[in-house]
Amino acid sequence: MNFKRSLIAAAAVLLTSASTVVLTSCATDGKQTASAEAPSARGELVSMRRLTAAQYERSVADIFGKDIDLTGRFETEVRVEGLNTVGAANASISAGGLEQYYAMAASIGEQALAPKARDKTMPCKPASAKAPDDACATAFLTKYGRLAFRRPLTAEELSSRVALARRVAEQRSDFYSGLQEALTSVLASPNFLFRVERALPGKHRGDRPLDAYARASRLSFMFWNSTPDDELLTAAESGALMTKAGLQAQVDRLAASPRIADGVADFFDDAMMLDMFASQSKDPLTFPKYSGALAAAAREQTLKTIVDLLVTKNGDYRDIFTSNDTFLTRELAMVYKVPFGVGRGWAPYTFAESEGRSGVLTQISFLSLFSHPARSSPTKRGVALNEVFLCQTTPSPPGDVDFSLINEPNPLLKTLRSKLTAHATEPSCAGCHTLVDPPGLALEGFDSLGERRSYDNGELIDVTSEWQGKKFSGAVGLGRLLHDDARAPQCITKKLYASAAGRVIHEDDPALKDLTAQFTRGGYRIPAFLKVLAADDRLYKVPAARPAEQQPAAPTKVAARNGASS
Amino acid sequence: MNSRFNRRSILRGILGGGAVGMGIPMLDLFLDGNGAALANGAPLPTRVGTFFWGLGLTPGQWEPTKVGANYDIKRNLEFLKGGLDKKTSIFTGFTVKLDGRPSHAHWTGLAAILAGTAPARINTFDGMPSFDTAVANTIGNGTRFKTLDATPYNATTTSYSSTGGDNYKMAADSPVALYSRIFGEGFSDPNSGEWKPDPRVMVKQSVLSTVKDQRDALWAEAGATDRARLDQYFTSVRELEQRLQNELLPPPKCESCVVPTQPEEIARKGDVPTIVRKNKDMVKLMTMALACNQTNVFNYVFTTATSEIYRPGDLPVYHGHTHEEPVDGKLGYQPISAELAQVSVNAYGDLLKAMDEVKEGDGTLLDHSLVLGFSDTGWAKIHSIDNIPMLLAGGANGRHRTGQHVKVAAEPVTRVSLTMQQLAGVPVGNFGVGSMMTSKSITEVMA
Repeated sequence: MNFKRSLIAAAAVLLTSASTVVLTSCATDGKQTASAEAPSARGELVSMRRLTAAQYERSVADIFGKDIDLTGRFETEVRVEGLNTVGAANASISAGGLEQYYAMAASIGEQALAPKARDKTMPCKPASAKAPDDACATAFLTKYGRLAFRRPLTAEELSSRVALARRVAEQRSDFYSGLQEALTSVLASPNFLFRVERALPGKHRGDRPLDAYARASRLSFMFWNSTPDDELLTAAESGALMTKAGLQAQVDRLAASPRIADGVADFFDDAMMLDMFASQSKDPLTFPKYSGALAAAAREQTLKTIVDLLVTKNGDYRDIFTSNDTFLTRELAMVYKVPFGVGRGWAPYTFAESEGRSGVLTQISFLSLFSHPARSSPTKRGVALNEVFLCQTTPSPPGDVDFSLINEPNPLLKTLRSKLTAHATEPSCAGCHTLVDPPGLALEGFDSLGERRSYDNGELIDVTSEWQGKKFSGAVGLGRLLHDDARAPQCITKKLYASAAGRVIHEDDPALKDLTAQFTRGGYRIPAFLKVLAADDRLYKVPAARPAEQQPAAPTKVAARNGASS
Repeated sequence: MNSRFNRRSILRGILGGGAVGMGIPMLDLFLDGNGAALANGAPLPTRVGTFFWGLGLTPGQWEPTKVGANYDIKRNLEFLKGGLDKKTSIFTGFTVKLDGRPSHAHWTGLAAILAGTAPARINTFDGMPSFDTAVANTIGNGTRFKTLDATPYNATTTSYSSTGGDNYKMAADSPVALYSRIFGEGFSDPNSGEWKPDPRVMVKQSVLSTVKDQRDALWAEAGATDRARLDQYFTSVRELEQRLQNELLPPPKCESCVVPTQPEEIARKGDVPTIVRKNKDMVKLMTMALACNQTNVFNYVFTTATSEIYRPGDLPVYHGHTHEEPVDGKLGYQPISAELAQVSVNAYGDLLKAMDEVKEGDGTLLDHSLVLGFSDTGWAKIHSIDNIPMLLAGGANGRHRTGQHVKVAAEPVTRVSLTMQQLAGVPVGNFGVGSMMTSKSITEVMA
């Protein structure tokens, strides 16, 4: 029993020490921000989105520097309506995941406070490196807590961590070690791992307006896909962000930064599901050229292409389906079977018309992600194309259909086209297969890796197709069709809006029509549209829940946990 | 007992040295002299696991003809030969009751078995937890990990275990990842005789305590949906605390525990030879996690429901074959699909064999365990949810009357899930929703 008593006594000492933080003065180079009001004065919590892996990485790089090495595994993203940034509102953290986040948090603290890094990281110098210094710990945690939580820490959040830093520093006779542990507790907190958004205090009928910090976060993640910087948080603290002029000033600043390329790249990485490369594999017997390095290069190729067209050149969004300007590395050039000059690294390249490629749909990323390990899949490509670029979801195959009613596939049917044609004669299958297969069949001139081919199983491939009442041929024909499809700009508008707001946008959302019209009037320019969206007051409101939203939306088909459509 | 005295002395020593705050130690998990029971006379804990593979088995090639004990072994289940059949029960004829809900291909079957529901939407359990959560809540609290999830499959995360809210657990997806989680930082070899508490563990507890301080504030402000997710987050915090608390105790001696050496990383490929090798490595690690008292509960997914394993050089993957391969007129089944079904169920067999090789007390680890092997479909070719393969292996410390073939006509799969929970010691009287709600245990397999 003595043992138990000694534990309880120890706990009591700890509790007491936690509640008696004495703040002394400390020279700092950072702004000392008053702690935010008590939770009771804050508005209702209206949304919680788990940081995506990209958001976590960018936030850490922005807060602690780009040289911080992250070696953990993130929870798998939850993709809803084609976007991880929307699914993040349904995502939580499992025990295995928390262990990973905890280890990453500890490792970040260790790196950021390593002797060599301290000068850069610390806003103050402790009186002694071997003893606690509450004032310096307070300055440090005030500065970094604010950047991590995207708002100032509450008095309680701060004091408990200062106390933790003190106790550990005392025990280990090491000020920085104490600080490290306190920082770990900041970075393992749900307030960092989730983007917690609050409404303005008070009662609201219908739509609930977001508070200034939620506004700052939405802006920052939308343009840079990262945590708000000091200036943006200051605008939130001063209330400037809640005024029209103050908001516009920040929108202009964020949009003018070269970091808008990060936001655009991450958005398309998400929308095009390029994170699926992490679990991709190809049969090495069929594709000896495939490697993890090639997959990484393919992902980067697409993002470089998109940023170059949409941000650097401020081009028309619809040209992603037709433009043949891209960037290649030597290993990518080998797959594309095109010449590559001397030297290493990335080089701009424009595919010739004779190569039969057309925009991002004919890059290795799209062609290989939506294929089987050894075989292309017109159905997978068709389902993905419909969902990613046109926001058309393909229903699951009916569960009760008796496939045995379909004629057994004839082994004489060699090409996928002939097999699929046989498949789609069954009316219950044809409904969907006639929607998804035709565009996929037009891409059959490219194999499971994205290499050009003319023959499948020894038989000449036919890439003519008919879809939406239009006849066309091959990738070039498909690219033109998509370029002129009115659903494409509406889809990208909807996804950009959904990603920024972190919720499903319904077809009948009044803002959607209006935003699409503005995107169209602006000549389909993404940076200009982001500014329109960011200045729109509707982005900063959380609608009252609709009956349909009581349940979280079903995850995306293509990203189904089972990961496959045949 | 001396050991008890020693543990406390050691702990007192730690605290005397300036602890940073820790909870009261929880359980006395000491074995008695011969390792057949705990020090207090209670039997060894029953270890419980689920093992999933995708795309079912080949109809006609796995169901025994004979009902009851001493059943005959069909082609797909050849791994049972050599004695495992006497430790395994087979369930045939169980189905999913849809109650007008859609049958989502490759999803509804596993959802019904795990969560007792035919969910309205694919990839969800209608927000409900999988039943292994109830098992872990009952028997998972005394070990370092409340539950462990693993998969040798290629998907980044493959676990169908959910604590609710349509969030699924993170599974260790490679031998190295699984080894590091179990035998990496914080693991103490129970037989090394040298145990020292790691003072960093207590600091970690303090860090988590600071994190937990925010629970009430967030909880008070959040709406129902966010509360559910907050609850999951803080449940994860508690599980990590459980792990840390466990690490502060000297591990009880454990004769069957042989700490494995660090495995080699295996490339991320879905070809059969690679995934079989990877599986063998991983089931051995999971077996030692049980034998070394690291967890009592695990979930293992060999492949997702739409398995994309493939034979090297073969163009279609397994899932493709199940839909495209013609039924061989002479054989009466799809030969390549049958071959790949056997590869899949053999992976389950590899786990059972590994567990049965570990001697423990009066029997083997498998005798003290209960492992449900199951799939998503009865016949993948037509996405059938009738006659989904379900096998129950291990003696559950004598509670499972093993070696039975139980055959029913279209009764809900939830009967097996309920029975499994009851054999695991979960105080539950019924399971499932709608027409799949059942209180009818399968008494044929209950000793």
